[in-house]
Amino acid sequence: MTEKKKERINIHEYLAEFDDIPGTRVFTAQRARKGYWLNQFAMSLMKEENRQKFKEDNAAYLEDWNLTDAQKKAVLARDYNAMIDEGGNVYFLSKLFSADGQSFQKAAGSMTGMTEQEYAEMMIAGGRSPEGVRSKKGGY
Amino acid sequence: MARVTTGITSSHIPALGAALQTGTSQNEYWGPVFKGYQPIMDWIYGDDNMPDVIVLVYNDHATAFDMNVIPTFSIGCAEKFEPADEGWGPRPVPDVIGHPDLAWHIAQSLILDDFDMCIFNDMKVDHGCTVPLSMIFGEPDEWPCKVIPFPVNVVTYPPPSGARCFALGDSIKAAVESFPEDLNVHVWGTGGMSHQLQGPRAGLINKEFDLNFIDKLINDPETLSKMPHIEYLRESGSEGIELVMWLIMRGALGDKVKDLYTFYHIPASNTALGALLLQPEDIAKEPLDPRVVHSGHSLEPAE
Ligand SMILES: [Fe+2]
Repeated sequence: MTEKKKERINIHEYLAEFDDIPGTRVFTAQRARKGYWLNQFAMSLMKEENRQKFKEDNAAYLEDWNLTDAQKKAVLARDYNAMIDEGGNVYFLSKLFSADGQSFQKAAGSMTGMTEQEYAEMMIAGGRSPEGVRSKKGGY
Repeated sequence: MARVTTGITSSHIPALGAALQTGTSQNEYWGPVFKGYQPIMDWIYGDDNMPDVIVLVYNDHATAFDMNVIPTFSIGCAEKFEPADEGWGPRPVPDVIGHPDLAWHIAQSLILDDFDMCIFNDMKVDHGCTVPLSMIFGEPDEWPCKVIPFPVNVVTYPPPSGARCFALGDSIKAAVESFPEDLNVHVWGTGGMSHQLQGPRAGLINKEFDLNFIDKLINDPETLSKMPHIEYLRESGSEGIELVMWLIMRGALGDKVKDLYTFYHIPASNTALGALLLQPEDIAKEPLDPRVVHSGHSLEPAE
């Protein structure tokens, strides 16, 4: 036996806390499992030949990736919030918006309910304040 | 013997690379950012400061590693690493040239020091690795030194704790110091600072958190290293967790450091940007003048 750690993190508490952050979905194992094929589909767009095939016919390309109907619908609608709900991770999904010629800022902004212009202006004015969006329960 | 002489932190966001590529790095939006980096570039090209090797700590953004393999700490031991195609074609930058002898030496030493490393040879490097090189070295035909890519998982939870990262830095320091060749080694920690790229809370920036993080990183990294993940997430946004990688850099510099230069800027696209130049106190050179630069929206009362 090696020396016992003095203090262990309780994994259930560790994971449960993530749900207390407003407007945020942390990429936990549970989400990673749910989004496995969605994320792997997005990865496939790192190859130019795949991007071409995808551009020619989005829906047909998606047929090869074992996606749920909700995942397919979210991709076709370029609804990034819905993709993240379905287990997508933004770094994987960046391959999709990059293939569409979109920037990180445009994609991130699209998830906030603001227009592209409003979001860009908020960033220039110093970004979103953490005030009130740190904790749902705590309300701070 | 080899020695870790310098620690640098840098943002690695793709938009910085895009600004160089599209020739917009001197425009109204990006100009202040590149201006803020200029003193680091001048410093590193001048006065014998060029490293022989950089251990470049970054996170792979679902590029070399997909859902198939998720290594917590890994080290690139190959002769060279090509820039990856992340969806818009590879960044038009030189290949990253590794230092297999030192990389393998560090890998072996870390494993003996209880860090069970994942070793990579065939690996493409993404913006996390190449954007900091562009920011510090500009646009040369070849990178002016060798680079050992050191990817850390901060994408799939849980990432390593701050304390583990800090301890890893200390082990990297010891590993470098037991390498027989006389080498000037830098350790760079990249990513951050506060930012969130997803969901209705996207766009979060926390200047107070960031400035405190910089201060603690310099003066009290031990306490800082104990900050739990939830605090990074709440305070610095879901992607602010990248900051744990700065603790690896800091751990590699030893107890006391001198801050030669600190640059902080809001916003760079979705993020707050921090770039630091640190050296171990016993061998530190003179601080730059000015020593602290804030620009963009961060200009309001900061000190
Ligand atoms: Fe990053």
